Order: sequence, then structure tokens, then C-alpha cells
Amino acid sequence: SSAIETSAMSITEYNGGGILAMAGKNCVAIASDRRYGVQFQTMATDKNKLYKMHDKLYIGLAGLATDQATFHEKLKFRLAMYSLREERDIKPASFGKLVSTLLYERRFGPYFCEPVIAGLDSANEPYLFASDFIGAPLIPDMDSNGFVVAGTSSEQLFGMCESMWRPGLDPEELFETISQCLLAGSDRDCLAGWGGTVHVICPDKVITRTLRGRMD
Amino acid sequence: LDGRMFFGSEMLGAAQTFGAGAGMSAGMPHPSMDGYGRPAARLPTSQVEQPKEQRWSPYANNGGTCLALAGDDFCIIAADSRLSQGYSILSRTTSKIAQLTSKCCIASSGCNADQTTLHKLLKFKLQMYQHQHGKELATPGIGQMLATTLYGRRFFPYYTFNVVGGLDSDGTGCVFSYDAVGCFERLKYSVSGTGQALIEPFLDNMVAYKNTDMKPTIDRTCEETLELIKDIFASAGERDIYTGDFVDIHIITKDGTRYEQFPLKKD
Repeated sequence: SSAIETSAMSITEYNGGGILAMAGKNCVAIASDRRYGVQFQTMATDKNKLYKMHDKLYIGLAGLATDQATFHEKLKFRLAMYSLREERDIKPASFGKLVSTLLYERRFGPYFCEPVIAGLDSANEPYLFASDFIGAPLIPDMDSNGFVVAGTSSEQLFGMCESMWRPGLDPEELFETISQCLLAGSDRDCLAGWGGTVHVICPDKVITRTLRGRMD
Repeated sequence: LDGRMFFGSEMLGAAQTFGAGAGMSAGMPHPSMDGYGRPAARLPTSQVEQPKEQRWSPYANNGGTCLALAGDDFCIIAADSRLSQGYSILSRTTSKIAQLTSKCCIASSGCNADQTTLHKLLKFKLQMYQHQHGKELATPGIGQMLATTLYGRRFFPYYTFNVVGGLDSDGTGCVFSYDAVGCFERLKYSVSGTGQALIEPFLDNMVAYKNTDMKPTIDRTCEETLELIKDIFASAGERDIYTGDFVDIHIITKDGTRYEQFPLKKD
């Protein structure tokens, strides 16, 4: 018999997932797992949680999947309006403020998603941003901790990044570091995993790779 | 005070007697009627104080992180020394580790009261074993004994997350990891406590070489493992508020147990 049971899980743990972004020397990388689940049942293993805003700006959204989708649509719309009016791509710092504002507009009925932004500004300096689900910004100090995390495996990812990150990584080293952190972190979280997607954003190109880890 | 307010009661005053007022039914006054036979005005439920059950809990989580790592001929058990309650620090120098035999240590995080009692009980049981059998209980035996001790309290558990580390009778390092009611497993490394989620994936990557194809041909020596553990606790202390102050480290080898204390950030 297929009994419908609910478990006492928080709304941000309903779908699960882990997002991670890291800064290197004139490059940033953003990575996420690929699981889409409903509580403990895995529904899909190729879910995309990283969205390209423009060539040098990516956003990852962790949390409730329906809010991820809706919030992404809102951002896509706002970005399209911005580029039509301004006739240029939005700066990462401005985009970070936009995300904060949009989330705080819903202060008393929030979107249950936690954004992570990775981009390169006009001088090709890395920009990282994370926030809680009501828009409180976190822009890390690039010299001491150039990484941000979000999702159900955030503690695991924090532990990995704290030990493995160091400043001044080049794109290949950055890719290796962020991949190891993502795989090891999501392996210990039952709501995140089924591989990973990594985008490494360099001034001239974006390298996208799919990781294969423990497929559970 | 029954927590419910009636506008009507202010008007009733001294007139709250049985059968007073026209149109009242004889007998007890009904709480939803005022004394004049009209429905009493009420506040909406959202503005009325609701009864709330208050309950004392026998458990407290005093925080902290414990770790054990086994090598071929050594075992290192480490735990931070911070005792917390809520957002306060009760002590910076409280040990979570007890030396049970010359070849075995136990580290426990969770409720400090249960940890102290459990360690005392284990030491007592080990002393009885020593008297009855004329020798120390070997580490795998201690592992089993702890599991049965914890399960003996299945319906009012010891709120402790234990890690046992030592050398078995062959001199090989062994680590046992437990949940609160005694489910246990022998492993090469284990971590428990508030910093568990932060440290465990790092150990997976650096000790078990998961998701890498870089397993070195030479194993880490005892000294290299010690340096790794100090780094691990420094990282955990950065992100976990309950981990910090000092790390107590016991290194068990065939020559005995060595103790080291490593300072961490005090914030």
C-alpha cells in the first residue's frame, strides 16, 4: 500500500541540495549537486540549480525547489529589463543588491531559497555573495575565506572549504578544490548528491564540467 | 486568572450571582453569556493567551567535538575542552576524554552529566573485570561492553555520542563509533559532536581518500596524523561556536599513552 507519510522536516529540507562557490585568482567557480528529491524519495538526478545570468555571472539557488524556480524566473525578468534599459550587462555587485531587495520584499511570506552568486566584475576580480532567505547579505573577505555555501549540506561544505581553500588558486586548481569539497560534503548528506555540476568562470570563457560521485 | 478575558465581566461586577439578571437560565452562569443573558464579547483567539505546556528536560547539550583516528600501530583520540550551555561558556578546560586502560581511551560529547557518569561506570566495570580476570579488558571487548551499557539504558538513554579508540590485542589501532543507544561499528576514524558535520567529510577525503585516485603508497606516520588532527580542530573551531579553547590529544602506541594539549581560538 502506498501510504502518504510526512516527516517533521523543515521546509528548507524538503527538496535538499548543496551549493558552493569559491574564488581564485581572476576566476570564480560555482558548483551544485544534481539531486531533486521530495523528502526522502529521489525524483530526478539531473536537476540544474545553477543559472547563468550573463557570461560572467552565475547564481545558484538552494532550498525549496518551487521557490528556486519562481525566484529564478523573477530574476530573469528583472535582468532582461535591466539590460534593455541600461544596454549592458549588470555588475555582480548590483545584482547581489537586487537579489537582497527582491527577497526582503517578501519579508513576512518569504521565498524559501538561499542564493549563492559567483561572478567576475569589470576588472575581472572575483565577486562572491550569499544570503539567507530574507536577503541578509554575506560578502566574504577574499583574503581569509573566499567561499560561500548554502543548502542542506552547508555544514559539511563549510568544514571542507575551511580546510581546503587557500587564496590565489588558478582555474584548474580551483576546479579540483571545489570538486573535492562538493563531493565530500554531499556524500555525507542524504538529501544531496547524485554527482555535481561545476562552472569555472574565467575572464574569457566558462568551463562547465559534470562530476560523478557516489550515486546515492 | 484563567487567561480568558471577558468584557462582560467588568460590567458584571458584584452582580455575578446565580440566577441574577433577566433572561438568565437558572443555575450556574455560563461563561459565554454575560450576566444579562447576552453573548459575552470576546477577543479573537490570536489575541488571547493560550495555555502552553512547560516541561523540564533532563537533557542538555553541552557541545564539543570528539575524534579518534587509527593507524597501523597507533591510535589518536582528541576532543576539545569547551563546556557550553546555550550561548555561554561554562568552562574552557573540561576534559571529554577518559583513559580506560593503558591501551584504550573513550571520548564523549553531548550531555556532560551523562558523560561523567558513563565514564565513571565504565571505569568501575573495568576494575571489576581486572579483579576477576587478572588482566585488562582488550579494546574490542571494551567496545562491546560500552554498547551493552548504552543499550541497558535504551528507554532513558545516556545523551552521549561516544568514540572509543585504542590498540587491539595485535597492536593495531582500532576505533569504535556509537550512537546514543549503543549501535556501534569498528572504523578507521570517527568524529562525533557539534563539529561532526564539519569534520567528517574532510576525514573521508584525507584519510579514506574517497573521490580521489591519489591514495599514497606510504601511510601517514603518527606525527603527520597528529598535525592533521590539529589542523582539523583549528578549522572546526572557526565555524562551530561550541568548539574551541583547547584540544586534549591522547596518542596511544605500544609504548603507552602520550598526552598533548593544543590551544585553539577562545572566541
